[in-house]
Amino acid sequence: MDDLYIWSVIAVLTLGTFLSRATFWLVGHHITIPKRINEALRFAPACALAAIIVPDLLIHHGKIEASLANPQLISGIVASVIFLATRSMLTTIILGMAVFSLVRLFV
Amino acid sequence: MSDSAHSAPTNPANLSSAEINEIESRSFRAGVRAGSPSLIGIAAWGLVVGIAMIKSHFTIMQALGMTLIVFAGSAQLAALPLIAVGAPIWVIFLTGLMINLRFVIFSVIIAPHFSHLKVGQKALWGYLTGDVSMVFFMRRFPTEQPEIGKFGYMKGLFVSNWLAWQIGSISGIFLGNLIPEDWGVGFAGTLAILCVLLPMVLKRATLIGVIGAGAVALLTFHWPYKLGMLLAVIVGMLCSMAWEEWLESGNSITGGK
Repeated sequence: MDDLYIWSVIAVLTLGTFLSRATFWLVGHHITIPKRINEALRFAPACALAAIIVPDLLIHHGKIEASLANPQLISGIVASVIFLATRSMLTTIILGMAVFSLVRLFV
Repeated sequence: MSDSAHSAPTNPANLSSAEINEIESRSFRAGVRAGSPSLIGIAAWGLVVGIAMIKSHFTIMQALGMTLIVFAGSAQLAALPLIAVGAPIWVIFLTGLMINLRFVIFSVIIAPHFSHLKVGQKALWGYLTGDVSMVFFMRRFPTEQPEIGKFGYMKGLFVSNWLAWQIGSISGIFLGNLIPEDWGVGFAGTLAILCVLLPMVLKRATLIGVIGAGAVALLTFHWPYKLGMLLAVIVGMLCSMAWEEWLESGNSITGGK
């Protein structure tokens, strides 16, 4: 593949990473955020995580699949129970992946 | 630390700089420990992105360059099909920027904690912000109050997150052609985030926001540039705020906080 093209893509994507993540660190102290917006922002990280994983768990073969035919959903539910019982992230990930693989193989 | 006037950590006990350094390095280790359970999931996601780059016929050098300096998994994944069709550079730039927009919101939350740092430090640590590190940092330091040890803790989280991502991604680059694409290893990243999220939703206002954000993300998952995700975050925040507002207006019991 054209080397110059790829490295240009890498350069502009790096710029995108930098602009979105670091700009406010550099200029933020000149900007006052209203108190209510600041309060709302406390919830942003949790909402972002939810927005990442809810489709991962519920979209199967390109559509919403909230049934036992969806291996991600089954292993997500099992993993939640394991995590709430053990509070161990590592145990949850290992057992969750085991359930996920088994369901995909045999169901 | 810095001489800058605003919000440098106060030093009430008049600690010597050796003592401050000791606290900061202890905090660094605490940060690494706090984030460590999530690292296997982060590495699994890195692995997926590394494999995807090699399967898109990147050379090893190109793939290494991309993972080491772009450091934005979802933007990288989104760029691959655009690269395959030879899309214009500016289209790829805008796509990457769109997908990263949630980090603008994150930076508004976290930057005030470190407004005393020098410019180069701000640029570096801002650039290294990750989704999961962000949550662990906020859990330990919910207020902007300057505190000795905060900087070390953040560095511990960000550095370990960066290393886990790169180890996963570089493994994917070198093993890419040996691993079948439908292995489903990326689901480990989803499970890691699930574990981070579960303790947070014990607080009712957060649960309401998470349900709102999840529902919007689900209904908009086919939108381009992950714009649905940005909308999901905004709607989720509004749901949480509305819930707190409702508690405060209709309830004499203290609302949630």
